[in-house]
Amino acid sequence: KMFFVKNFFTLLGVSGTSMEKNITLDSAARIELSCRLDNKYSHLKSLQVTWKRGNETLRHINKTENSWSIQLRILDNSKLGSYSCTLRGEEEISAMFHLQVPKIEGKEKPIVSYEGDTAVMICKSFGYIPIAWTWYMTNGSEQVAINDSLLADKYVINRISANVTNLKILKLTKEDDGIYWCEAAFELGRSKGKLKLKVLSLMVPLKPFLAIVAEVVVLVTIVFLYEMYSKKKEKCA
Amino acid sequence: GERKEEEPEAPAAGRSPGTKAADRGWAWGVVFHFFLVNVLVMGMLKTFGIFFVAFQEEVGGSSEQVSWIGSIMSSLRFLGAPLVAVVCRRLGERPTSIVGAGLVGGGCLLSTQATSVPFLCVSMGLLPGMGFACLYQAAAVMTAKRCRTRLAFSNAIARSGMGLTFLIAPFTQLLIDFYGWQGTLLIFGGIMLNLVPSSMLLRPVGTRPPRRSSAEKRDCGSSMAKKDSETLDGCLDETTHREIRLCSAQDLSTTEGLMSSHSRDASGPVNSSALGRLEKSSKDSCSPEIATEAKRSYTSLPPTEKENSQPLLDFSPLKDPVFCIFTWSFLFSHLAYFVPVFHLVARAKTLGISSMDASYLISVAGITETVSQLLSGWVADQNWTKKYHYHVAYLVLGGITNLLCPLATTFPLLMTYAVAFAIFCGGFMALILPVLVDLVGVQKLHSYLGFAAFFAGIAAIGGPPLAGWLYDYTQTYVCSFLFAGACALISPISFFFEPLAQKWKLKKANL
Repeated sequence: KMFFVKNFFTLLGVSGTSMEKNITLDSAARIELSCRLDNKYSHLKSLQVTWKRGNETLRHINKTENSWSIQLRILDNSKLGSYSCTLRGEEEISAMFHLQVPKIEGKEKPIVSYEGDTAVMICKSFGYIPIAWTWYMTNGSEQVAINDSLLADKYVINRISANVTNLKILKLTKEDDGIYWCEAAFELGRSKGKLKLKVLSLMVPLKPFLAIVAEVVVLVTIVFLYEMYSKKKEKCA
Repeated sequence: GERKEEEPEAPAAGRSPGTKAADRGWAWGVVFHFFLVNVLVMGMLKTFGIFFVAFQEEVGGSSEQVSWIGSIMSSLRFLGAPLVAVVCRRLGERPTSIVGAGLVGGGCLLSTQATSVPFLCVSMGLLPGMGFACLYQAAAVMTAKRCRTRLAFSNAIARSGMGLTFLIAPFTQLLIDFYGWQGTLLIFGGIMLNLVPSSMLLRPVGTRPPRRSSAEKRDCGSSMAKKDSETLDGCLDETTHREIRLCSAQDLSTTEGLMSSHSRDASGPVNSSALGRLEKSSKDSCSPEIATEAKRSYTSLPPTEKENSQPLLDFSPLKDPVFCIFTWSFLFSHLAYFVPVFHLVARAKTLGISSMDASYLISVAGITETVSQLLSGWVADQNWTKKYHYHVAYLVLGGITNLLCPLATTFPLLMTYAVAFAIFCGGFMALILPVLVDLVGVQKLHSYLGFAAFFAGIAAIGGPPLAGWLYDYTQTYVCSFLFAGACALISPISFFFEPLAQKWKLKKANL
């Protein structure tokens, strides 16, 4: 196992504003979080600094005169969460670090497809490579995992590259309409992305199309009739 | 509403008011059709980027493969022009245009069933590309034939359709969100089919052309020799009995009566091209010697009228120095136009201007270009001087503007550059067709326009990669603008040879 030491800190400034930082981790690592006081406020005396996770207080190191840090070894999901450092003097200033697994982006806009056609849903993880991908379908209120070896003629799951996965649904029907989840498993936990599939019947776009074709036929007839009429007029004239 | 004072055709003497009004009406119809072609064709080309993503997701394939579809679609519009010119001359403008509309609509509809990139290359690249070429050629030549005196302005009105295409992108996005890309292509196919009724407005021309203006009378002396040979060719087409009668009866007033009745019955366009040449011959009779000479040649030629002297693919433009002059200018001016358009936004971004402001630049430039096209067309139609003088002036000024562009480093300066560039671009773009018509005349316009478009297509294909290469090589966008400026300054050089070329042609014709 390889440990990477990463270093994050926040500059504390004016009281009242709470500062938050999101840190993304996909594999086990050693982390040092530090809170540093801005030079403007270095005159403040008798400061009490507390590092907390939830209700639990953690031991910290006073690295330099105006910075305090904690060192963490993140080995599994249980160590992820929100860590905060609070400075109590005349006023109270605090900052929060959120340690998370990488977020997976699904698609906000629904994917539109047609009955009998094939739908392709793509999920990407940015920057971090998941260990495994799983796809879920929403059946009522519960999420059902999609087993592509069981239903090989309906679902095909492909891992195109390390951080991209593909779910192909063949022979779409109205029941395939709904919300799908793609889940990426990392060493430190799992993360989900949401995708919506909309299945339309062929009649839906056909109606405006036929309306337009009807309009075209009407226009052609009008122009044609006008030409015949003007030819007749010229002949008579 | 229509502006009645802007008549595309000057009233011709000796015509009944009914037909005069009808002619004006048909001319407006042609301009409207050309306008619609511009809107829909450019709209579809510009929204290809939106479909690009959908195609890639659906059909797979790398970015490069999918972008071939777009390149084929936009380049065939130009490269297919010589072939389309042949078809147009054979079938006439109206059938060609209807075929073009059918190709585009059919291509869109076929693409809904696409399963692979090669399929899409044909159904979304080849078919619409050839369709666009057909539509453009037919519409451009018809406009030149119908709108004699106000060609520049009508051309500018029609080209202003490109300015409306900014509406099509959000509309397409809406459709895709609602119906998916297949439904959207289906609806697009239907919308493109609307070009069929508007193509039916391209009535074959059988009307007597108006009196020539004094400027054209000056040209008459130099170019009449060339046109005389063309009229001989015209009569050698497979002609009906009536046309032989028309040819020999050179009495202008009776020909006019015969021509108008003949044109109404004509099963179109097959005879209209011959008629077109015939009417050119009557136009040429600014000196009576030519009329009698033509009469003599017609009466001697009917026995040999069997052979068709117009070759299928007319390569004569390539030997014509005037064509070389025009194409040289056309090629370089297109390069000078495309490159800054591609790189303006990128340059703005490298100068630290936000995306919102950069897109504001583009929209202002677009509006300015449209307005400037209309103005330039109107000014050129006033005939204060030859049209290509304006063309040259716009190109030179545009080139200077481009060369000064690297000095624009702040947003106001860049905006000034964009506005100035748009003004000059709009100016010369609007005059391309009128200048070609001035140099070449309407009969041979098909083949000349076809080949000119072919060379422009080469510039269109080569332009973006060249611009990209320039950027990669120099790591700055400054060079692209200098290159564009240089191109814009090189392109009008050929026009200085125009008087020489005309003299050369006259000498050759007199030999």
